[in-house]
Amino acid sequence: MTSRTPPAETPSSGGISIRSVCHEYRPARGRPVLALDNIDLEINDREFVAILGPSGCGKSTLLYLLGGFMPLQQGGISVGGRDITGPGPDRGIVFQNFALFPWKTVRQNILYGLEKQRLPKDERERTTRHFIDMVHLTGFEDSYPSQLSGGMKQRVAIARTLAINPDTLLMDEPFGALDAQTRSLMQEELLAIWNRSPTTVVFVTHDVREAVLLADRVVVMTARPGRVKKIIDTRFEGGMNAEIAKSRPFLDRVDEIWDLVREEAIVAGSAGAG
Amino acid sequence: MARTLGNDTPGTAGHSARRAFETFGPYLTISLLLIAWELASRLELVIAFLLPPLSVVIVRIATDFASGQLPMDIAITLYRTLVAFALAAIVGVSIGILISRNATVRWFFDPLISIGLPMPKIALLPVFMLWFGLFDLSKILMVAFSASFQIIIATWAATQSIEKELIWSAQSLGASRREILREVILPAAMPQILTGLQIALPICLIVVLITEMIMGGQGLGDSMLRSARYVDSPGVFAGIVEIGIVGFCVIRAMEVIRRRLLVWHQETREETTV
Repeated sequence: MTSRTPPAETPSSGGISIRSVCHEYRPARGRPVLALDNIDLEINDREFVAILGPSGCGKSTLLYLLGGFMPLQQGGISVGGRDITGPGPDRGIVFQNFALFPWKTVRQNILYGLEKQRLPKDERERTTRHFIDMVHLTGFEDSYPSQLSGGMKQRVAIARTLAINPDTLLMDEPFGALDAQTRSLMQEELLAIWNRSPTTVVFVTHDVREAVLLADRVVVMTARPGRVKKIIDTRFEGGMNAEIAKSRPFLDRVDEIWDLVREEAIVAGSAGAG
Repeated sequence: MARTLGNDTPGTAGHSARRAFETFGPYLTISLLLIAWELASRLELVIAFLLPPLSVVIVRIATDFASGQLPMDIAITLYRTLVAFALAAIVGVSIGILISRNATVRWFFDPLISIGLPMPKIALLPVFMLWFGLFDLSKILMVAFSASFQIIIATWAATQSIEKELIWSAQSLGASRREILREVILPAAMPQILTGLQIALPICLIVVLITEMIMGGQGLGDSMLRSARYVDSPGVFAGIVEIGIVGFCVIRAMEVIRRRLLVWHQETREETTV
């Protein structure tokens, strides 16, 4: 609460309001699958919310609906007070598989969104250089994604999304494809970036520790069909740092949420087996 | 593949010998074949009429070249091949893209392609002759028609296999539908489209030669068939060697173009920083 009060100088973008959202997948063959069942969720402006749940619980579906990539079937979603109608640069997204343009260099990838905003050339270049420095990729500007490691690719993807300055950041298991050391470093970097300029973040993960470490609140979802099982406050006195991440209260909170997720994972596992 | 042959370390004599083999190995097979050819007729294992010695054939090629007849035939055949190839590429890629983006177009073309692809297109040559005459137009249209199926299929498959996250990223960075086609779908599909074009190019050359043999009108195919009519066996074999050389050059040129266009692709870059 104390250290994460957003700075007053940046204008408010408003939070996210998810109202009675249901979503059903209708495969060409076979029965329709209910992925999301009546989701209600209010996310505050510049709040970092993690969505946690067993695989197949619809947490990515919820993120794609927020992104406007799939049509909303039932219920309503508004971001910053406006109902979403499709994808837009007000909501930046980072995917687990990076989704970089492989035919563009690091610099060209980051420039792409800025070109779409029709910014003057020198401003585009300046912003690109700033974000390349920020994610520690100086010297790799002219490398193609195929020449980079997984962690470096994900840093490019994050820089590309942050460069267009979105009000809301949607992250779909962004560190899921990385090894443990890289993931831990990336979590620290993301936290540092967020502390410097907080935006509203919806962060989908299945890593409980990651969720508690990064988020203000953790939304635990049930096994399919996805519902909100419980919302847990995960802010710690004095803000997040390496010391707190080793402290008793932190580990207790991780354990508590682990038990909630475990229950659902067992349900999901037995449903899958049956 | 030669890596499995031995376990000698770099820098040894064995290593450099293997390097030399890897470089010149492909030419070895052809050289052996040519030597065998020369010997077979020199030693009168076969009658020179059925298989004239290679040296005689080479002299014949040189004479035809000096007289200007051969350069002209090559130019005419290449002209027909490349014009038809360009036509097939433009039409094929366009139809392939339209099929992937429009359900009505897909509904219209899908059965036509299913029937047309395995059919020997050259069987329609009499129809093309009736409709378009006996000169370049009917030849070029016949060739383009024959080659376009491969390109349509390759383009269609390429656009289907583009990961949705790539398109979603572009959307959320602010790209319009038209921009996504030009800036995301086409470059992402390029490796597979080029593979389709690389299959289509030799098809073009082959069909040009067949149409020339059937319909006449100069070119390598016509000149070779005329030699056969005049029972001019060195002329026939000269034609085979010429066609082999032209085909080899055309395919090599296509490989160079592919490498130029795909500098960003994994296949053209071996070193990574992983």
